[in-house]
Amino acid sequence: MRRQFWPAVLTDIQFWVPVIVLALGTGLLLALR
Amino acid sequence: MSAPASPARQNGRTSLHWTGVICGLAAGVGLGAAEAPTKLVTIGLSPFMVSLGMVAGVFVARWTVPIVLKGSDYVWADLSERPHLVIWALLAGMLWAVANTLTVFAIRDVGLSVAFPLWNTNSLVGLFWGWLLFNELRSAGAAAWTRVLSGAAAIVVGACLTGLATSHQAAGSVHAGMGIAAAVGAGMLWGTMYIPYRKAYISGMNPLSFVTVFTFAELGTTLAFALIYEGGPQGLLSALTAARPVLFWLFLGGFCWVIGDLFQQYAAKYIGIGRGIPLSNTNQLWGLAWGVLVFGEFAGLGETGRVMLISGSLIMIGGATAIAFAAAPASEQVSWRAAMARECGRYGLNADRVAAAVAGDDPLSHGRAGRRWWEFLIAAAALGIFVWLAAVAARPDIPFDASWAAALTIVTALCIAGGGAVLYRRTRFS
Repeated sequence: MRRQFWPAVLTDIQFWVPVIVLALGTGLLLALR
Repeated sequence: MSAPASPARQNGRTSLHWTGVICGLAAGVGLGAAEAPTKLVTIGLSPFMVSLGMVAGVFVARWTVPIVLKGSDYVWADLSERPHLVIWALLAGMLWAVANTLTVFAIRDVGLSVAFPLWNTNSLVGLFWGWLLFNELRSAGAAAWTRVLSGAAAIVVGACLTGLATSHQAAGSVHAGMGIAAAVGAGMLWGTMYIPYRKAYISGMNPLSFVTVFTFAELGTTLAFALIYEGGPQGLLSALTAARPVLFWLFLGGFCWVIGDLFQQYAAKYIGIGRGIPLSNTNQLWGLAWGVLVFGEFAGLGETGRVMLISGSLIMIGGATAIAFAAAPASEQVSWRAAMARECGRYGLNADRVAAAVAGDDPLSHGRAGRRWWEFLIAAAALGIFVWLAAVAARPDIPFDASWAAALTIVTALCIAGGGAVLYRRTRFS
C-alpha cells in the first residue's frame, strides 16, 4: 500500500542515515574552520 | 558453495553483470583522466577555488554529452515517476561537496599520505551500506563474498600503496586529530553517498536523471563553501578573475569527471555499489599513469617507492579481476528483488516498470527520442563556454610529454567509446 509522500520519506531509514551523516560532516567542517 | 559461472552473453546480448563491470572499469578511466587537466593548474589557487572550478565544469558538461544521450522530456518523465528520489539525489550532491571540502582540511592537517588511505575506505563503507540496506551480497554464497570482499580490500590497499609511494607532502601536526577526523569523515560521507545511488537505481531511475539533480546540489553546496572560505561574493569574484586563465583546465577535468561519474552510476545500477564502486575506484591507476607518463612525476622516486607503485598497481588489478568474476548468483538476485519490492511498496512504484528498468529495458525509453529546439541551444551554450575558456586559457610551462598524452587520450577515448557502445547496445542508456 502506497503511503503519502512525506510520511514515506520521513519514516525511511535510508533517508535518515545520509541526513545524519551529512549533518555530522557539516558540523565537523564548521568546527575545522 | 561456489557461485555459478555467469555467462558473459545472455540471449545474444552482453549480460547485465558484464555491462556493469565494463561501466565500472570505464568509470575508472574517465575519473582517472579527470585528474590530468587539474595538474596544469600551476598558479596558486585555494583548494576551494579548484573545487569550485571543477564542479562548475561538471555542471556545464552535464548539458553537453548527456543532453544528447537523453532529452529533457525523458529526464522530466523519469523524475516525475519517482519524485521522492529528487531528495536523495540532492542529498548525494551535498554529501559529495562536504566530503570533498573535508579532504582539503585533512590534507592541510595530516598530509596526503595519512589522509588518503583513510578517505579511500569509502568503497568499503559503501559495501557495508549496500549489504545492510539493499541486500547486496545476501545469500550470495562464500565464493562471491570472498571475491567481492577481497577484491574491494585489495583495491583499497593497492590505492593506499600507490598513494603512499607518491606522497611527499609533510604532515602538519598542530591539528593532527582534527585532520584524521576530517579524512575519516570524508570517507564516511562518500561511502554514505552511495546509499542514494543504489536507492535510485533499484527504483529503476536513469543515471542521467539522477546526475542532473545531483549536479545542482553539488554546485550549490560547493559555491556556498567557496563563498564562506573566500570571504563573501567580493572575495569570490576576485578569486574567480584571478583563476580565469586556468579555468579551462578545471572545466576539462570536470568534463572527464562527469563522463566517468556517469559510468560509475551505471555500474552502481547494474552490479550494485558493493561491486561497482570498488571497480570505479581503479581511477587511481589511471591518474597514476597520467602523472608518471605525461607529467614526468615521481622521476626521482627511490627503489622502495617504485616497488610500492608497481605492487600497489598489481594488487589493484588483481582486486578488480576478482570483482569482475563475482557475478551475483541467482540466490543473491532474489535478495536484490526483495529490496526493489520494498521501494515499490513504500513509494507506490509500478513493480513491472521498475523491474524492466532495472533489467536495462527502461519502458520510458520507448518512443521518447525527441529533443526540443532549446535543448540544442543549451548544449551549444555549454559548448561555447568551453570554447571561450579554452581561448583565454594559459598553457603553463611544466614538463609535459605530448606523445604519451596523445596515447593516453586515445586509450581513454577508446575505453569510453567502447564502454558507451556496450551500454547503449545492452540498455539504450537506460
